[in-house]
Amino acid sequence: MPAIQEISEQLIRTNISRAVCDVFKTMLNRDSEHGITMHEGVAASWPPLPPDGEAVPQVVGTVGFIGDANGLIYLYLPQAFAQLVTCHLLGMTAEELEEAGDEVINDAIGELTNMTVGSFKSGLCDAGFPCKLTIPSILRGSNFCIEPISSVQRFIYSFESSGYKIVADILMKAGD
Amino acid sequence: MRNKILTVDDSKTVRIIVRKAFKSYDCEILEASNGVEGLAVASKEMPDLILLDITMPVMDGVEMLTRVKADPQLKGIPIMMLTAEGGKDNVLKIAKIGIRDYIVKPFKEELLIEKAGRIIELKPLTDAPTKARSIFDAATILVVEDKPAIVQQIQAGLKHTPWKVHGVSTQGEAMDFWTRTPPDLIMISLSLPEDAAFTLFRLIRSNVKTKYTPVFGLVVKTEAGPQQQAQTVGFTTVVTKPIDVGDLESKIAKAMNLDTSLRYFKIESEMLVMRLPENCGPSVLAELSTYLKPKLAEAVDAGNNKAVIDVHPLKSVHMGVIKLLLQTMQTCRELGVQFALVGNVHLIAECKGFEDTRNWVFHDTLENAKASFGSAAAPASAPAAAAPVAPAAAPALASA
Repeated sequence: MPAIQEISEQLIRTNISRAVCDVFKTMLNRDSEHGITMHEGVAASWPPLPPDGEAVPQVVGTVGFIGDANGLIYLYLPQAFAQLVTCHLLGMTAEELEEAGDEVINDAIGELTNMTVGSFKSGLCDAGFPCKLTIPSILRGSNFCIEPISSVQRFIYSFESSGYKIVADILMKAGD
Repeated sequence: MRNKILTVDDSKTVRIIVRKAFKSYDCEILEASNGVEGLAVASKEMPDLILLDITMPVMDGVEMLTRVKADPQLKGIPIMMLTAEGGKDNVLKIAKIGIRDYIVKPFKEELLIEKAGRIIELKPLTDAPTKARSIFDAATILVVEDKPAIVQQIQAGLKHTPWKVHGVSTQGEAMDFWTRTPPDLIMISLSLPEDAAFTLFRLIRSNVKTKYTPVFGLVVKTEAGPQQQAQTVGFTTVVTKPIDVGDLESKIAKAMNLDTSLRYFKIESEMLVMRLPENCGPSVLAELSTYLKPKLAEAVDAGNNKAVIDVHPLKSVHMGVIKLLLQTMQTCRELGVQFALVGNVHLIAECKGFEDTRNWVFHDTLENAKASFGSAAAPASAPAAAAPVAPAAAPALASA
């Protein structure tokens, strides 16, 4: 079994870029002609939210993976983009979504995060680190930060779609 | 019987996407949010297909799958995994328990339909199941033919219809077209190189979107081999070249199950007007004959008990037309409908030449025919009063 330290930053970057782009392109069924384009993930610094205190409401999906590799991925989506994505996914109008409430958005973003992390962890499995997914959860807010404990390695990548910034915040437990 | 598809996923979003994907197909979607619920629904409803997620609370997909396969009653139900759990080892491990297919999320709805369509019969729902589509509704016809002149001939011949005829010349173009726009009918030249027509036919029938689309073969009359092969494999019909466009139009209407009655029957001024077209070939006569009684009965039911039989546009009278007119008059009598005939001078002269038709009384215009009902209380058993084109007050038709 390979040691956890062998998971390189390159592997993480490749996996997360592929996962985010695949999920958004496939599930939103959009091409560049319609305005939703994904840019490859670029390494971003902590904190993932704008440091200038701009209160942009966020919907953050979280799914973990446990096994030979352990960790958590937080997927940050601005609330306006989360609404847009949910409408696309479920074939709803903005009015219908408004009526349906936040629960529908939470479920949709939870599922998108689940797909993204699923795709990411499939890459880890194929690289020799079998692991399983946890159940998704959602965090909402406009001015917060998630702080890891010291034994965790952190990787942050940002993506862009339709002018919105999507951030993938990856926390990996260091090897025992 | 409608197919039942059970989707077992803790995400309401996925269950909605599944429901959305299958909404144009005649099937019932059942839902469960975990393995325990999934087993209960499966035992009660005996679905024809289960779409199963893996990571779920209470009972995950792998355990549900294992239990289904261990249950003698349920083990025959095909299961397709629909999960974010990819990874070769994972897929192989689950495949060994016994599944029919595996879709890794993210997935396109088209892929789900295509894979489900390989396991169960997916019949597309018609847009308006309660109302038959009419000859005046728009439709898309795809012609796969490498000879542009034939495509042009079909386009020109069907120009007066609301149907849009698209011509493509290769197999690849055809597939591209029907992926974007599933056509209502496809015509394929049987003489495309390398038996492409038959390869295309197989692809059409294996695709959920085109599985039930009528497919016509186009071939030169003398090419008996391809015609026979097309009929054997299940082409809807074969149209021979040179193409008789009138006949082709009738065949298209029949294959698309269109209501063509409005072409021949209309209610005008509280009267049923039955109008024969310029050319009354066998297919037209068959259509008219089929609609005749229901249309007359419908008119009577709505309180319209007068009918004008307008043969004015007809070019010539032949036995088929005479038989139809006799049948029409007989049906009118049976239903107590008064009727009047409208014809042109040439037709009237022709009718004089037949024993059965020589006494028919014609009016020269529709208006005169309509007016005749008011001026003479014509009995239901005879054509209405005479008009200028029938100078002698000829007696009614002797016998039907």
